[in-house]
This record gives sequence, C-alpha cells and structure tokens, in this order.
Amino acid sequence: MTTYVPMFVSLFIWIALWLYILSLDRKVRKLSRNV
Amino acid sequence: MKIRTDIIWKIGLLLLLSWVIVGAWVWEPPMGGVSTPEIYRIFYFHVPMALVTFLAYGLAMIQGIAYLKRRDLEFDLRSSTAAVLGTIFCVLAAVSGSVFARFAWGSFWNWDPRETSILMLLLIYLAYFSLRAAVVDPERKARLSATYSILGFIAAVFTIFVWPRITPGLHPGAPGSSGGKVIVMSARTLMVFVPSLVAFTSLFGWIYSLSLRVNRFVEED
Repeated sequence: MTTYVPMFVSLFIWIALWLYILSLDRKVRKLSRNV
Repeated sequence: MKIRTDIIWKIGLLLLLSWVIVGAWVWEPPMGGVSTPEIYRIFYFHVPMALVTFLAYGLAMIQGIAYLKRRDLEFDLRSSTAAVLGTIFCVLAAVSGSVFARFAWGSFWNWDPRETSILMLLLIYLAYFSLRAAVVDPERKARLSATYSILGFIAAVFTIFVWPRITPGLHPGAPGSSGGKVIVMSARTLMVFVPSLVAFTSLFGWIYSLSLRVNRFVEED
C-alpha cells in the first residue's frame, strides 16, 4: 500500500503534466501557423 | 512524416518516464549496505534534475557566447530561456534533495556543502534575472546577460563539481565523512537510472523548445 498508492499518484501527476504540455504544444503550433 | 516522428518521441517520453516512476517505487533502491536504503530511491529523480540544471546553464552560456559573436537577439532569447528552465530544475533538485536530507540526516536543511552550493547557484541565477530586469536597452541587456551567463556557468561547475567534492559533508560523494559514501549502482538500478537521465533531458528539450516559441511570440508583441 505504501508503495503502490504514491506510485499511482506520481504516475497520475506525470500523465496530467504530459497531456498539459502536449496541449500547450498544439496551441503554440496552431498560433505559429496562423501568424 | 514529420508530425508522426514528433508524436512518436513524445509518446516514447511518456512511456520512458512512466517506467522510471514505476521502477523508482518497485525496483531495488540505488544504494545497498545502508540502514535505510528506501530513502535513496529519490536519487532516481534528484540526480537527473541536477544534471538537467547543469545542462541548461551550459546551454545558456553557449547561446550567450553565440550572442557575443553574432550580436543577434535570437541568441539572447535562447540563452535566457535556458537559464529560466535551469533555475526551475535547480529548485526541483534542491527541494528533492532537502526531502532526502529530512529522512537521511534529520533536518530539511543542514548547511551541508552540497546544500550551500546549490543555494549559492540559485542566488547567482536570481541575480542574473535581476540584472535582466534592471536593464531596459535590449542590446545592453543581452550583452550583460551573455557575459554573466559565462561567469554563472563557471560558478555552476565550481559549486556542483568542485566545492562539494573537496569539502567534508553529509552528501554521498563528499570526502571524509560517515555519510559521504559513494553510490555504486548495480546493473539493475542502472535500468531505471539511465532511462531517468534520458527522460529528464528529453523533457527539458521539449519544454525548452516550447518556451522558446512562446517567448518569440511575446517578443514580437
């Protein structure tokens, strides 16, 4: 329990961060296409 | 084709760092022969963050030198972006280090040479941002920042690699202390540690390229 709960919390944070950076990347790409 | 390669390496990064997170919790700890090996698991994150800090400050210096040679403000933008990211990773390395210190040495902050040196490094780069904020003229700002980034990187080499290795302290690798054991990693622990180094460096590269594009928009406005 002391291993798996923090592991899944860390994984959740990392996947959320990855999705956030990916969405930012797409927004910036779209903006640079429009400029 | 370009878009496909782009998404493939991003998914690769997602999987690589996910493996590092799983491995850091369930794989064997990087340090054997100590009473509490579990606390050493943070090294799978702490050391790559410190490495990325060093790489980012090195990149800031290289771009600074390029600015001094070519006098193109694009290099100043690249240099300052690298310095910002280096400082973010430096804060993360300091925080993860002090979490380790709390459980290994009893307190979050012990004024160990390694802790003092990372604090000095942070102060040096906070002074760099103060300098940039204080100068209005872009050419002068870029010239001063480029020169400072060279001096800052020399200080980074001294504070990361020289001072903590010649001064007795608690940190692993420090000379002449009970806590200063050198971490010798096994092949199994390297299976987590090496991907961690690659993943954090790639993550830095991705955030760097993204920040650079955003900063270009800001500069154009």
